[in-house]
Amino acid sequence: MKKTLAALALSAATCLPAAWAADADQVQVIAPYARAVPPTAPASAAFMTLRNRGDHATALIAADSDVAEITELHTHAHENGMMMMRPVARIPVPAKGETQLKPGGYHIMLIRLKHPLKPGDKVHLTLRFADGSTKAVTAPVRPINGMSHMHHGNMHHAH
Amino acid sequence: MRKPVLALIVVIAAAVAAGLFARQKFHAGSTLTARPTGGDFTLQSSRGPVSLHDFRGKVVLLYFGYTYCPDICPTSLGNLSAAWRMLPPDLRDQVQILFVSVDPKRDTPERLQQYADFFNARIIGLTADKATLDDVVRRYGAVYRIVPVKESRVGYLVDHSAFTYVIDRNGRLITQIPHGTPPKEIVRTLMPLLTHKEDTP
Repeated sequence: MKKTLAALALSAATCLPAAWAADADQVQVIAPYARAVPPTAPASAAFMTLRNRGDHATALIAADSDVAEITELHTHAHENGMMMMRPVARIPVPAKGETQLKPGGYHIMLIRLKHPLKPGDKVHLTLRFADGSTKAVTAPVRPINGMSHMHHGNMHHAH
Repeated sequence: MRKPVLALIVVIAAAVAAGLFARQKFHAGSTLTARPTGGDFTLQSSRGPVSLHDFRGKVVLLYFGYTYCPDICPTSLGNLSAAWRMLPPDLRDQVQILFVSVDPKRDTPERLQQYADFFNARIIGLTADKATLDDVVRRYGAVYRIVPVKESRVGYLVDHSAFTYVIDRNGRLITQIPHGTPPKEIVRTLMPLLTHKEDTP
């Protein structure tokens, strides 16, 4: 996987014309975090806000992480009280706009965790955008709402 | 003089009877369609079978989910456990949270209990065979559906309703708490159902 990423990064770096800013450079990642989960939980999720400063729309098309065997992009749909989680091929980020990855909506799903995620741990994510450019993100692990004794779980909103 | 009075009485009686009948019909209809019946059940915990009637005298918070759920279930259980911890210790003893997994294929009672313990609120993890689960789910008005998803390497996902069912000290289903309800509001729902010290003689 590392090799693939390195190759991707290299191809992205060499193929792009200098005048063109890569999507990864245009997209700012705000307040990323992954969620602490019970020791036997097979999955967790990472959340963040993606802000696109560029003039053209892009999308998050893949993610990789060092803590899970499988990293996928998912969303939630609610229909008649039914919670439906579904994989998505892309998470669009509009030009001069932003997209929130947050509980109950878009998230990066971390599947088959290699070890339990504890508050204070760090998850290293690699985000890949529509043009193939990548961005490395470090997401701290935060407690589940109400599981922090400080009464400020991860309910805070970036905006 | 007599005849009109008699006629009036007949008319009034007929109207009252019709009204009663209509009300009864309406009541029966709403009971069947809108209100799930709830009721007793027996499911498997890591320490053997557990029934709802084991908790007579306690308020039970019943939640259906699965451990592969990375977002909705931890949020719900996080809020429920936070609400439980907000209660004074004597009231905590009167509240039991039950987490029922509708994914018995992946969630053994042991795994489920380890998951439940994380929330630090004496939550009991329960599951059962599909037929037993389906019966309990239906009676409480919950829904779930196993969805094979070829685009995901997890194999299948589980769609599910995310209400918490509030059962009073006599085992009666009282209300449902929607997903995302903050702990303080959960406490507000619980308080009238609990026995407070000043209430007891």
